[in-house]
Formats: sequence, C-alpha cells, structure tokens
Amino acid sequence: MPGRPSDPDSAIVPFSPMAEDVPLFPVRHGLKPPIFRVFVSWSRGSHLQVACVCPRDESLEEKADGDLGDEDVGGKVLEVKLGTSDANINEAKRRWIAYGSVPPFALLQGRRNSLAAMSRISSSSTFIDWWKHVLEYSQSISELLGNTRLQSTAVIEDPKLVLERVGEPTSLKAAWQLIEIFYVDRHSFSGLAESVVDWLAEFDCLLSEKDTTVSSKLVKLQEQLVNLQVIEDDPEYWEGISSALSVGWLEVVVKLLRLHGSYQLNQLDSRETENGLVEAVAVLVSTMPCLHHDFPAGKLGQYYRTKPDFVKAWEKWRGQISKLDCSAFWVQCGHRQTREGLRNLLQIMLGNINNISAAVFHWIELLVPHLLFIRPLTAGFEEFQGLAQKCMQIKFNNTPNGLVRLFIGILGENTEVVLAECSKSFGPWMVTHCLELLTADNNQNKIFLHEERYNLGGISILELHRLVYAQVLASHPLTSQIAPTYLVSCPKQGLGLLEILLCRQPVQHHQIILKNLEICRLYELDGISSCIKKIAGIYHWKHGRKGAGIYWLQEARDEATLNHIAHHLFESIGRTISDESFKQWEGLIELLGPDVGSAGGLGFLHTYRDFKKSLKLVESGRTSDVARQAIEALIQLLKSPSTPQRFWFPLLHDSLKLLNWRERPLLNVSETNLLLNKLQELSMAKLRPDFCSTELQPNVLSSVRLALARNLSRAFLEE
Amino acid sequence: MERDLATLEKGVRCCSWNYCGQRLAVGYADGSVAVHDSADPSSTFSRSSKWMVHACGIMNIVWIPPEFGDAIACLCVDGTLSLWEEVGEDVHSVSWKQCKVFECSDPRVLEVQFGVSSAYLKLVAAYSDGRVKVYELLDALDLNKWQLQISPIQFSQDLVFAFFDTKFKIWEFEEARQRWLPVAELALTEDKDDRVHAVAWAPNIGRSYELVAVASCKGIAIWHVGLNSEPDERLPAEKVALLSGHDGEIWQLDWDMSGMTLASTGGDGMIRLWQSNLNGIWHEEAVLDCCGGQ
Repeated sequence: MPGRPSDPDSAIVPFSPMAEDVPLFPVRHGLKPPIFRVFVSWSRGSHLQVACVCPRDESLEEKADGDLGDEDVGGKVLEVKLGTSDANINEAKRRWIAYGSVPPFALLQGRRNSLAAMSRISSSSTFIDWWKHVLEYSQSISELLGNTRLQSTAVIEDPKLVLERVGEPTSLKAAWQLIEIFYVDRHSFSGLAESVVDWLAEFDCLLSEKDTTVSSKLVKLQEQLVNLQVIEDDPEYWEGISSALSVGWLEVVVKLLRLHGSYQLNQLDSRETENGLVEAVAVLVSTMPCLHHDFPAGKLGQYYRTKPDFVKAWEKWRGQISKLDCSAFWVQCGHRQTREGLRNLLQIMLGNINNISAAVFHWIELLVPHLLFIRPLTAGFEEFQGLAQKCMQIKFNNTPNGLVRLFIGILGENTEVVLAECSKSFGPWMVTHCLELLTADNNQNKIFLHEERYNLGGISILELHRLVYAQVLASHPLTSQIAPTYLVSCPKQGLGLLEILLCRQPVQHHQIILKNLEICRLYELDGISSCIKKIAGIYHWKHGRKGAGIYWLQEARDEATLNHIAHHLFESIGRTISDESFKQWEGLIELLGPDVGSAGGLGFLHTYRDFKKSLKLVESGRTSDVARQAIEALIQLLKSPSTPQRFWFPLLHDSLKLLNWRERPLLNVSETNLLLNKLQELSMAKLRPDFCSTELQPNVLSSVRLALARNLSRAFLEE
Repeated sequence: MERDLATLEKGVRCCSWNYCGQRLAVGYADGSVAVHDSADPSSTFSRSSKWMVHACGIMNIVWIPPEFGDAIACLCVDGTLSLWEEVGEDVHSVSWKQCKVFECSDPRVLEVQFGVSSAYLKLVAAYSDGRVKVYELLDALDLNKWQLQISPIQFSQDLVFAFFDTKFKIWEFEEARQRWLPVAELALTEDKDDRVHAVAWAPNIGRSYELVAVASCKGIAIWHVGLNSEPDERLPAEKVALLSGHDGEIWQLDWDMSGMTLASTGGDGMIRLWQSNLNGIWHEEAVLDCCGGQ
C-alpha cells in the first residue's frame, strides 16, 4: 500500500512498518468526553466523514434545562481529510497543479498507447527514445511547479543584496527535479554532476528546516551586511564567502568579495596589495572552468562542453591558483582576516577537503564541492554513489527531512523507498506522476512497477498509485472531474472504480447528470449510464417531477419501472376519467411522446386515452360510430403486446356497455373471439402463484363473459 | 485536518449516510429521526426534516439503494422495522412518509440490510431467534409491496451473508433453483465461539476475490473469498490477517470505495485505518483519536 515500503531490510533509510509508531491524529470535535459512539463513512474519495455522539446522560439533561449552550449539543459531524501533501502548498495551488498536470499526463499516455499500437504492427521497438517523451513530460510538470532561480546578477542596483530568489522554492519541485535528474536523463551521466550542482543552487535552502545550510548562513549574513562597518573584520563575512564558494555560487562569492573594504576609494592607496589579492581571487573565482552541456547566460565561470577542453582549462586554472597561493604578496597583506580568508578560498578551490568540510553544513553541500573541486570528472552513478556515501559519513544529518530522505532513497537505488518517501512527504499527486519518470529509462523499475500482484488484488504498483490519486481527486467536487483521466489509464481496476465513483454522484442537478453521462459515453460504460438515468428517474418521479422522471426512465430503457408507472397512470386515469385532473394525466402521456412504446410499456396509454375519450362520448349519448371507435381502441389495446395483462380485465369491464350495444353487435366474430381468448387467458393466469390482480371479481367476470357470448351469438347471426 | 459539518441535538443513537454522502439520517433515543442535507460535498449539513418514527428509540438506520428512491429503514429498540421515504406530488410538498411497517415484536429484528440483485430489491432482516428473512420488493415505485422470499446480511452483487449467533456464514442465492445455499463460513475452528460484532464487504473493482472484514472480540479478521465455487459448491475462503488494536468492542467497519483502506471504530473511541502493504501484510496506517475533543 502506498506510504510504506514492504521490505525494510534492503532500505538505506530504516523504514520499519512494524516498529514504526502508528501516527495518531486527534479529532477536534469540541465535545466533552466521554464519547458514546463514533460513526464513520468514506462516502466518495479519501475524505472520512465522522460523527461523534455524546452519551445520553439524564443528569446532564437535567442541568441542561436551565443552562442551554454546549450542554445541548448531542454530537458533531466532521469531515476528516486524510493523506499527506507538501504543507507549503495551499489548496488552491494544489488544485492548480492537479489540473495543470492532466494535459502532460494525458499526452504521455496517448503517446504510449500509439507507440504500443505501432510496435504491435511493425514488431520493431518503438520505445527506444521513450525517455525523450518522458523528459518533455517532466519539464512540463516542472514548469507547473513554479520557477525559482537564484538571481544574483539582477541585483546590481543594491550592492548589499547578495541573494535574491524569484519565487519561493518548494520541496515538491525540488523532489521532482531530483527524480528527473537521476531517472530520466540517466543514460548520460556526464551531466549528473552539473545537474546536482545546479539543483543545489536552487534548492539548498530546503535541505533542512532547523539546521544551518549554506543558504541560511548567507541569508543571515545578508541581514548583517547593512549594519557592518568594516565588513572584512567580521569572521562571518569570510565564512559566508567560503560556504558560497564551496557549493559553487560564484556570483555570490564575487559580489561579496567586492564588498571588501579595500575597494573603497579612500582606502585604495593604503590597501593596494590587499585589494589586489582580493581582486585576484575574485578573478580566479569568476573564471573557474566548468564542464556544462550549455553555456548559461549571465553566470560566471568558463564553460566547456567537452572533457579535453575542460581538463586543459582546469589545469591552467589550478596552476594559477597554486601560483597565487605561493605568492610573496601575502606577506605584504597586513589585514590578517583578509589574508586568512582569501587563502582559505584558494584552498577550497584547490580541493582541500578540510577547508571545504569546514565551510559546508550538510552532506549534500559537501557532495557538491567534491564534484566541483575534488573530482570534477565524476562520471557514472556508482562513482557518484560512492562519493555521496563518503560525504554522508562526514556530515550525516540525524533528522533528514523528506527531500533528503528521498535523495538517500535514490542513491540507494531502492524504488520502493523512493515511492514510500514520495508518498509520505509529497502525497499521491507526486507518486502518481513521478512513476512515469521512474520507469522512463529503467527496465528493472519497469518490471517492478508494472508487475501484477495478487496481494494488490491483481494490479501493479503503478496502477495502485493511480487509483489512490484518483480517489483523492474524487474527494473534492472541483477536482472530481479529472479523476477519470487517471482511472482510464488503469488497465485492470480503473473502470471498476470509475463505475463506483459515477454511481455515487448525486442526481439532483441536471448538469451533473449530463456531465456524468458524458463520461459514461466516452468510456462506454452503458450499464452505469443506465443506472444513473434510473436513479435520476426515480428521484424525480418521487419528488413530484413526474415528467423528468419518465424522461430519465425512458432514457434508461427501464421497462419494468415504466410498466409500473404505466400501471399507476392507468389507475389514475381510470379513477379520474370524469375529473378535471384527467387533463393532468393526459398531459403526462402526451409528454411521453409517440415513440414511447419502444422504450417500455407506456405506448398503450395513448390508445387507452383514446378509448377513454370515446367511452366518455358514448356515455354522454353519442352515436354508434363513436361506440365503434371505442371498440377499435379496445381491440388495439388487447392486441398490443405492450398492454400489461393486469389491465385486460379492467378494460373489458369498462367496455361492458359496448359489448351489450343495443342497436347491433359492435364486435365481429373474430374480434369477439379475441376478447374471449383474452378472458380465458386471464382465468388461467389466475391460477398461477405470481398472479397479483385483485380486481378479478367472479360476478363481474361472469357478466363480461355473458356479454361476450351474447355479442358472439349476435355476430354469428349478422354474418 | 478536520472540518465541522453539522451539530446534532442530544439523544443521538445512530447515524447513517446515503450513497453519495450528502444526506445524513440521525436516529434519536426518543424515537425520532432527523435528515441533514448538504448542497454539495464541500458545504456543511443542514437539517431538512425531523419526524417521529416510533415511541421507542431508534437503534439503526439503513438507506435503501438509490435506484429505489430516497428512503430509509428504521430499526427501533423494540425490534420494530419501518420503511420511510421522501416523496411529494410536486417539489414544494416533499416530505417523509411511512410506507411500510414490518410486524415483528417477537422475535425482534436485530439487523437489516438491502441488496440489489438483477433489478430486484431485497431486504434481509436478522431476527433475535437466529432466523433471517428475505423480502423482495414487488413494485419498484411502491415500497409498501414486499413479498417474503425465504430465509439468510449485507449483499455484495449476488452474494449475501448472515450471522448465526457466533457463526459467520456466506449464503448465495441460486437463481435457477430459487434457493439460498451456504457457500462459505468465515471462521476458523478455534474462532467458532467468538461473537461477531461487525462485518464489512469491500467494494470489488476488479479483484479476483472478495475482501471481507469480520470484527469479533479477537480483533478484525480480513478474509479473501474466492469468486468461483469449488467442486463441493463451496467458495474458497482464506483468513489473511487478524488486526488487533481496538481496546474493547468494535462498533463499525467501513471500506473506502476502492476497497484499499478499512476504517474501524470501537469502544476505545478511536478510528483506526488499516491497509495492506505491497507484500499483502495488513497494518494499522493511522489512528484518529475521538476521545479528546479539544
């Protein structure tokens, strides 16, 4: 299940489902203990509705007579939101991310499906460059998570502002980019070092909430800069510069160095050598060679794309540093802090582990100078892993946060831990979407995440997480409509969950019904479509909107219920033939439309209405022609297969006057035989246990039979 | 983490949500029932009706499946079972009306459940003498017309199960022969004397087995029940976990709509959430403490 890895032994981070304390959350309902009973309901999605009920205490009731207020409260109903997510991202932003990630996700699924179809046709592997599609997807999602970059070049106007960020970095984006670095672009590990260096530049401030980081140290230094008179006397100034240099923030280093007092015009003469040394170091820093796949605009350093060019420049640069380190000018530099501070910077650039180690605070911060100054040609994951483990031993943080634990999980190559950490720290959105990255270029992960497991009910881990995320989306009315996108990408159980989700939607609102029916149509869920229509039909019928009720039942093709409605209508029409309210029913039958018979048993009601109308005219003394019309309607009704059997007898009973017509027999021999056969069928049906008509009274039955016999004999004579 | 949805009056005995979670029926000790509605899932509940059902307290309320309207079955302390539905001739005259009272003073009705099987609504009532009666609705529009079918509480598709004192059995209705057959017993030999407090059948969205949670004094047992009968017409059943944690009797079990998380409430005033990990090992995922209340 999401949130916990199953095999704690193989994890770098010691997860232990059994030993780990189960998290306990207090439900703040405001009721005085004790609680008599607690009721729960999941309803839709992952929100839990909870009803806490107070005991029925007679003594409390007595007190309550004179003291209303809290004492009168018998219980509270609350909604408890479950699950984890990045606490720094508010609800609105979370929904924005949820909506924004649908198009890239759907596009990637579409591409996968079409590539799968192509590979079936051409039998050649079309997934060779699949990682490129995933990278495109990853970058779309990454953009969605916000843009945060250190902007030290854009702050020339304020010389004392060394660090400025555009946007607030989030752990969610940091985690996403980390996974992208290690899983999507994994085939070209030459870029791993530069990616991690760039990553730290953006997200160093998120490594720890409590402990010092290079970022937090610089923020603190920046606050002090305004108040410092002689900046170079302050050890924190030099510590800040060495920290920034260690992690490769060259712009910050140069900017801080140029705040040195020796740059002030009135000091230049007396501190010429000192200033020369500061500037020399600043130049060396700003010309540091970097192996990078592109040349980032506005960034200090000399960038090389190829290793030979880089190595050549690197050796030259290191030679310059060594030369300066051995220079005689240091003796002439009278300011001790400057001398020591600058030489410390040179040692860092020369890759002295002691100086570097003293300048950084976190093992990831220690990893970066290794990549920059000690082993700039680190290539390959194993080498990187070895370096990281070494750094962890030197600077291990006892309470790593979710982001750092994720980094450790990635280095441990334990996908289960990575997923568990994503789930625990960043929630189901992250897990669902990063699964695409984990399987982009890693066959082992593909097998692990796509394997169908009996313990999960026959689904894969990938599908499991999509189902969990869809449930979270379904919990909120504003996101429930994007849940189907994820459910249909689940081959085994997605449609099953979608069916349950659709069946649990309320039917009061026409728009919601239409939306849900559209989903049913898109995914060919005909059974659920009928179910929704039936629920809507019954709801409207029973709440007095008879027309809407019939409309939805017809749409559902629910013949059984329509037959019951027909019966109810029949009875109402029968009862109210002479009544004004007949018009009401007539309107309802009219509403059913002429093709109603195809949908159920209501077609006969139109004929029945005609029959009743003719019968009414007959009763008011009209001619034989009208009586004949009534007989025709009667024959039509009894011939129609849609006229339910239980209606036959009342029809015959109503027609007694017509059967006994004085002037001439209105029915011919065959018509009379038809009616006699129907009567016979009814008598036989009466014997069956499921026969439910209560109106077949023996005396009426015999009078109908007699009238038919009489009509038959008269018809014989006439013919 | 939590959000207030409604405040209930004194004397509440039971609560029950409808299929979409937007209607809440509350049964009171004085025999009345109140229905609270929320306009949409993000809004709070407000009371739309309250009426007197019976002279004695309401023990349990069960909503009828939505295909048959907005209706509830109210089970009273004295064993009276009555059905109430919300109806109206027009939108302004909608109210709750009694549509059926099942005469059952002795033996008393202890539990009631509904199940939809091939368009028919079935009502299963468990009586204090250990018998179970199954009724079938004759007219989908008229909740007054019930026909007694035959004897075995909760349906999952065409399956049905029942308690018989301490034994927990699954019964299946055989359409062809129109009879109920016992197809599985969810109790190991050593557990057969344990009293069952609650049962919940997980929604099946595509598993090759049914997932059933059975709460007894020993804890919550999770069972896998096969979908296909073995040659002896029995369904294969395997107890995959026994979850202990609640201190005291377990009151209620409720599966989420995917059947992945089980919520249980018990006499210790806690809501415990249970999940299975990737290896199929069930564990307690979180605890919600309702005892404090601050």
